[in-house]
Amino acid sequence: MKYGYYPGCSLLGSAVEYDRSGRALLEALGVELEEIDDWVCCGATAAHATSHLLSLALPAISCAAAEKQGLDVLACCSACYSRLKQTNHDLRKDPALLAQINEIIEEDYKVKPRVLHVSEVLANEIGADAIREKVTKPLDGLKVACYYGCLLARLPKALRIDNIEYPTMLDDLMAAVGAEPVDWPCKTECCGAALTLARQDMVIRLSGELVQMAKECGADVIAVACPLCQANLDMYQSDAEGQLGEQLGVPVLYFTQVMGLALGLTAEQLALDKVIVDPTPLLVERGLVEAGVYL
Amino acid sequence: MKWDITEHALHSEFRAEVEKLSGQNLGDCYQCGKCSGGCPVLPELDLSPNRLLRMVQLGLEDEALRNETVWCCAACGTCDSRCPMGVEILRIIDVLREMAKNRNVTPPATAGRVLTFYRSFLDCVQEFGRLSEVALMGSYNMNSGRLWTNMVKAPWFFLKGKVSLSPHKIRQIDRLQRAFKRVEEIESQ
Repeated sequence: MKYGYYPGCSLLGSAVEYDRSGRALLEALGVELEEIDDWVCCGATAAHATSHLLSLALPAISCAAAEKQGLDVLACCSACYSRLKQTNHDLRKDPALLAQINEIIEEDYKVKPRVLHVSEVLANEIGADAIREKVTKPLDGLKVACYYGCLLARLPKALRIDNIEYPTMLDDLMAAVGAEPVDWPCKTECCGAALTLARQDMVIRLSGELVQMAKECGADVIAVACPLCQANLDMYQSDAEGQLGEQLGVPVLYFTQVMGLALGLTAEQLALDKVIVDPTPLLVERGLVEAGVYL
Repeated sequence: MKWDITEHALHSEFRAEVEKLSGQNLGDCYQCGKCSGGCPVLPELDLSPNRLLRMVQLGLEDEALRNETVWCCAACGTCDSRCPMGVEILRIIDVLREMAKNRNVTPPATAGRVLTFYRSFLDCVQEFGRLSEVALMGSYNMNSGRLWTNMVKAPWFFLKGKVSLSPHKIRQIDRLQRAFKRVEEIESQ
């Protein structure tokens, strides 16, 4: 199994732990990744909110590179995944638009590659059974609230990989590694996403309410699939605590980090030290990492 | 607020243009309000999504392009996913944002910060091909005049080794910059 890996910009910076844990997990499961040659930023909300053409041109450049490498595209960041997949969908529907985009990006893109999210590869291409076989440290009793955010589940009808209001793909993956998925009502609520710098007030309110709900529903940790969700829920948790007047202290990990624990990957391989709300005390107590491995 | 709604406005060029660019039929919206019921940022908006759509239906161009809602919409897509008529509301909001930007409509106070953020983001992509979060934070803070935004959080990024200080420049940056230029030319036509 080999894919064209699209890391996306966040995974080179604020979400470096998603990159490291994702690669380590896929390697442990026998998946080969080849980075897409000279990939460019997908443009994210900044592009689709201000320029329709640019929002298609940027993803098309990277997908055209994957096409030349003869590979399907695998993305970890939900925002990148959503933009790349939406672009392919729009370009397939409209040959005139494809011709215009090809002229803009100086390519002869034929929209051959599929765009897959890492969770989709794990659930559908590798499968829960194969994952279960590789589990060496089942996460017995660890209560995980899977937070899908907006972009992973909420795609146009033709592109959906999961239920739009109550997705279960990540929950099923958590169950496969022995964790207990939490039934909670905020799986696809918005964290405020790209408004993180321009409207922090909104982001703190939305993220705080989410973490509060996960805690009320009994979650030990929140598992996420998007760098902006992780940053907003983790980084602003102390601000939200101030506004809500209560202690939250819920670690927010990438779902690849949580799964990696069960496959026996080390704290270092999973870059557990990169998250702000420290998961160490909890994970040490559950015997999932050794005490004193990192700061 | 009082609006002057004339027969002409109901068949306005503005409404037709939004329909053409978004590929949506504004007549499909019967104002049930389900989009607004699920909107996570509604408390911070000056116009609920269904009112914004109503303004487009009525051809109220100035009001539909200059408001907090078009910019403070977080693009989560809940409205789209719940519309009983399948109207792609987020696509319509994207069209309004793009029209507002291309027509140089100045957004109201705090909404302007969002446009500044998007501009800083795309400037960085245009320069390097990839986004450097540090460069983005710096340029956003300069462009918005809010120099200390997120500076409280910055130490975390450094302590945790979550920043790459040198922006990652792609090899084929010239081709990318030509693409940006071409898009700009098409949009200014």
